[in-house]
Amino acid sequence: MTPGPGRRLIPAYLVTGGRSTPTGPALDRLAVLVRTDAALPRGTGSEQRRLCELLEPGALTVVECAAHLDLPVSATVFLATDLVAAGHLHARPPIPSAGELDRSLVERLLVGLRSLH
Amino acid sequence: MALIAVTVAAWSTARMYQARRDAYGASARAELIERQAKAAEARTTALTEEIRQLARKRIPAAATALSHRTAPVPGLREAAGIEGDAAHLLTEAVQAVRTAVLEERGRVDAAARSAMRGTSAKIQSLLNQSQHLLQELQHEYDDPRILQLDFRNELALRRTQATAVLCDAWPGLARQNSSLVEVVLGAQSRVAGYERIKVANHLRQERLALVARAAEPLAIALAELLANATAYSHPDTEVPVTVQQSAGRGALILVDDAGIGMDDDALKRARALLAGPSEVLLTELGDPPQTGFAVVGRLIARYGFSCHIEASPYGGMRTMLRIPAHLLTVMDDDRTLSVLAPKPVQARGAGAAAGPAPGAPAAPLASPAPAAPPLGTALPTPSEPAGPAGSAAFVPAGPVPEPGPVPEPGPVPEPGPGPASAAEEAPPAAGLPTRRRRSPRTASPEASTARQQAPEEPPLLRTPEQAGAAWAALQEGTLSGRRAPERSAPPASPSDDQGDDET
Repeated sequence: MTPGPGRRLIPAYLVTGGRSTPTGPALDRLAVLVRTDAALPRGTGSEQRRLCELLEPGALTVVECAAHLDLPVSATVFLATDLVAAGHLHARPPIPSAGELDRSLVERLLVGLRSLH
Repeated sequence: MALIAVTVAAWSTARMYQARRDAYGASARAELIERQAKAAEARTTALTEEIRQLARKRIPAAATALSHRTAPVPGLREAAGIEGDAAHLLTEAVQAVRTAVLEERGRVDAAARSAMRGTSAKIQSLLNQSQHLLQELQHEYDDPRILQLDFRNELALRRTQATAVLCDAWPGLARQNSSLVEVVLGAQSRVAGYERIKVANHLRQERLALVARAAEPLAIALAELLANATAYSHPDTEVPVTVQQSAGRGALILVDDAGIGMDDDALKRARALLAGPSEVLLTELGDPPQTGFAVVGRLIARYGFSCHIEASPYGGMRTMLRIPAHLLTVMDDDRTLSVLAPKPVQARGAGAAAGPAPGAPAAPLASPAPAAPPLGTALPTPSEPAGPAGSAAFVPAGPVPEPGPVPEPGPVPEPGPGPASAAEEAPPAAGLPTRRRRSPRTASPEASTARQQAPEEPPLLRTPEQAGAAWAALQEGTLSGRRAPERSAPPASPSDDQGDDET
């Protein structure tokens, strides 16, 4: 009757506070979070406090924070967007990976270089 | 001759008299018989009427009264009309019918429960499986809809589990010793409208835990109480939950709501169910069935905690779940608490201003529950001498600047408060990447004093003069160092030295 290894006690959706989508711009899982200098107000939840503590030494990506907090990325995004909205964190979108190079441009460059000789 | 005549006359007179008397007797006897026949007939009619009354009114009414306590049960029509024995037998017939109906009802209910038990156990295990899958998906994909799906699954799981418990099933899974606060959060997560539930942690021992066998039952019971509180209160109101230790080494969970409250009948029924009756029939739960208190009552009867309900100072109802000391323990040091678990309020100042001032209603609490100490005494701290929790929640608002979460040494000896809190603070050493700046943040001038790096910052902010002086000192040191071997070892190739010196 028992299914697998124990049922978790605290589900991750608890941090969403009943919302279906995070408030604010969507965060990529590789977005980089940086702590600002704004002090946390007293009523801050322990999970938000913990996230800010994580970011004190330096910037981390959302997915790294999620691993530290032992939460799924989707739940961490809720936490992070709240803190960004409140001005406690800065979020920087990830650097887009280099796209495919335009082949014709490269060829023209090559032609130009050769013509220099 | 005359004598004979007199004798005959007397005899005949006597005969006549006798005959008249006989006739009179006969007629009287006939009358008596007739009267007796009439009486018997009347009795038979009365008895028939009584039997009709029995068949048509009394037995159905008695059967109805078994499920509706207020329904009237008619008695004999005319108690004088029939003899004691028949009346007694008739009443016995009603009693026999009652017993038979009760037995049959118990049998039918048991059959229904066992059928439901089987079904809900199966559904429960399926839902548990889908929960595992959803959890895996959550870690793989970032779609927030998976979180919603997980929540729906959890709601379904709670319903199924409650039904199973009501049908005398085992709660369906075993846990390890679990932190009390985490169990409360777990119960919170199983309820629609969980975002309105505000948990205030007033525990003296942060790592207070429930023993393994009581963890899941308590989560189920508390989830039912929370579901009642959220379902019967306005969606804009909060449902404050207070977790605290009572003086008698037990713990107390208070659930308040600002809802519509309960009338006397409902309260009586709820208290009867919460007293932990030995059997709860499905047929007694109403339609639609109200299972909440019945489930809590079943768990109370089996696991030894207790629950009390009364009017709340918030306007609705307050339920108190009392956990005796033998169901409590302290968590092992190697288990870290979830990040979601709220820290004890004392350690964090007045963080939970929403924390209901539980000291205020101490007076009404003490009367119905003699075992419960007044709540104020549950939170005595060395630093705040006279503190009902209510005032304690407001006093440290300004002056207390973030004392570390040092657990107060409670009555139960804690294995090691120091290491425990240290493990809590340290980042999990699971080999995860931790990016650190090579130079700590050179924060802007308004760098808050609360920051840990604050003491390290001044030496790093060098003025140009300081930098110049430092370099000058280095150069001077180098020169003097080179001059020293020059003096002590003159034969060493001078050309090199000169070359160096010139550069």
